[in-house]
Amino acid sequence: MNSERWIERELAKLNAHLPMKRISLSEALKSKKPQVVGRNGSVHEFERDELELLASILPESEWDSLFLPILVSFDPKLGRGTAKITGEVEAKVVSQLLGKKCAGGELLVYLPEIASLRRKLPTVTQYFFMV
Amino acid sequence: MAAPMAISPTRMELIKLRRRISLAQRGHDLLTEKMDALIIEFFEVLKRVKQARTNALRQLSAAHRALSVCLAVVGTIETQQASREARREIQLDASTRYIMGIMTPALRIERVERTVLERGYSIHFTSSALDDAAREFEKTLELLVELAELEESARAIARELEKTKRRANALEYIIIPRLEATIKFITMRLGEMERENFSRLKRIKAMLEARI
Repeated sequence: MNSERWIERELAKLNAHLPMKRISLSEALKSKKPQVVGRNGSVHEFERDELELLASILPESEWDSLFLPILVSFDPKLGRGTAKITGEVEAKVVSQLLGKKCAGGELLVYLPEIASLRRKLPTVTQYFFMV
Repeated sequence: MAAPMAISPTRMELIKLRRRISLAQRGHDLLTEKMDALIIEFFEVLKRVKQARTNALRQLSAAHRALSVCLAVVGTIETQQASREARREIQLDASTRYIMGIMTPALRIERVERTVLERGYSIHFTSSALDDAAREFEKTLELLVELAELEESARAIARELEKTKRRANALEYIIIPRLEATIKFITMRLGEMERENFSRLKRIKAMLEARI
């Protein structure tokens, strides 16, 4: 196979697990089985404990603005081992969980922090690779 | 050093190769990022596996101790008879969970611990030592299911990690060096052609001047 096509296929596969449509925290809390469907057809369920943790951090007025899953975006431009959380509410929640200061609607996180975040929120966070 | 690819040394090919190398570099960077993320996931699962294994082994040892007491109190034949009479069906909900697109098992076991009557053996001919042993083994089963789920998840992540590493290595050690070597070959060949052209023109100019 042409190496160019092979690389393009590999890059396309990187984000195949991401959901076609994200749902808000309030929708997830109301749902009996909070879940999203990925681009590859996989079903990703959210744990209720994690949703409740997010609900306890955020005021109720912001539940509609937080979209799940929270994406931990890896961009090679940022350098190896660095990711960013985009979205004002998303960055606010993650900064509170990690005890970091958040400036604007973006938060940079590094590998040890990503590990800690994934430990706290394994189902409501997902990796996203900026292709 | 990687051998250059067999292509014609033209400027068009050079442009195409430069585009390909930048794509390959980007692919390599992203696969490296994916590997980092997988390593985080793998070590997290591994930590949980370690904890789950310790708990399961501790509980298993308690269960065997209770079984030894039971065998001593109730007797081997009676214990075996009771085990044959016991109900064996336990509800296990097996589904799948995805971690970065990797399919891992999700096992949910409903209440394993049963009451004496639910177990199904006769309570007239057995002792409470048997109930204790059965309870301990039921607790063990719950922990073993959790351990099985985590171990399989760790195995699936490790397989994906190996695949990703192989792809990143293929880009780093085969594809990118080969593209670089080809670019170097074309650049040198184009330079050589330019120099040949230049000296040819100079020679023609000298010949024309000599004729005049």
